[in-house]
Amino acid sequence: MFMKDLESETNADKWEVQLRKGCLELAVLAVLRDEKLYGLEILRRLESDSDLIVSEGTVYPLLSRMKALGLLRSEWVESDAGHPRKYYALTPAGKHRALDMSRTWTRFSSSMSKLLAPLKKGK
Amino acid sequence: MVTVTAEAQQTIDDYLSRLRSRLRDINEQDMRDIVEELRSHILDKSGGGGEASTIDKVAQTLDALGSPDQLAAEYLTDNLLARAEVSRSPMRILGVLFRWASLSIAGFSVFLSAIVGYFLGVVFVLCALLKPIHPQTAGLWIYPTDGADSTISLRLGFGSPPPDARDVLGWWIVPIGLVVGCGLVMLTTRFALWCVRRYRKSRVSPHR
Repeated sequence: MFMKDLESETNADKWEVQLRKGCLELAVLAVLRDEKLYGLEILRRLESDSDLIVSEGTVYPLLSRMKALGLLRSEWVESDAGHPRKYYALTPAGKHRALDMSRTWTRFSSSMSKLLAPLKKGK
Repeated sequence: MVTVTAEAQQTIDDYLSRLRSRLRDINEQDMRDIVEELRSHILDKSGGGGEASTIDKVAQTLDALGSPDQLAAEYLTDNLLARAEVSRSPMRILGVLFRWASLSIAGFSVFLSAIVGYFLGVVFVLCALLKPIHPQTAGLWIYPTDGADSTISLRLGFGSPPPDARDVLGWWIVPIGLVVGCGLVMLTTRFALWCVRRYRKSRVSPHR
């Protein structure tokens, strides 16, 4: 019984991780919507503006993939810290994708909220 | 200005050099970009607040990034998915799988399966293409052996089969070989990408 509870807790945990991971690309597009930021700034913005607590080892490869897909462009900028930083910004394709994804998100989350409303009342 | 102790600098250089050696499949410019971006991240994160980057702070930062192997696997699998969305070339996919194979058992198993899948696919296609050139010897042959079981073999037309061997498909090998061969190549590509996606999904972030 205890093992079963533990297992379902782990599954719920995994589901939450997957959910957060699935939202990561949209969240990155959203934080870059009208300014260019470097990796650590993106990470901090994701942590402060969203409920996403993101692994650093996941975000940098994701940024690299989004750049390879033409959603982001990057440039190196010298900084006061004494080393250059790689800044990311949305490309036109990235802006388009951000709009598309946010529309899908809004549609999906509003229909899910309707579906889940009775569960909230019943609690 | 971020200052770094000599010991901390050595730790950063060792980490990045291990990462670089595991990212060999990625082109030189992209690899340099990745390594410099991570160096910049490590310096910013460990030297925040105007204090020097000490060995402890650097160790914490590197721990949050994950081991060079884990990080390289993330880059390689992400890179593979990005490439696959642009081009589905088996050679490119095998190239990245080969690097992944050197980093994990999962990567090794997927690489081996992909090799077998692509090899069989290519042999079927070659068999179909060589049948018109070597009609007497190319094809799918069954060899009776001394025991109860027979041996089945795809022949590309080199050498000649034993006199009691039977050509199972005859000229049907041409359309069947092309369809089965191309199908195997496509299925192998889809399988490899499915495994990569599953691997990425299964990687649970250590710092949720």
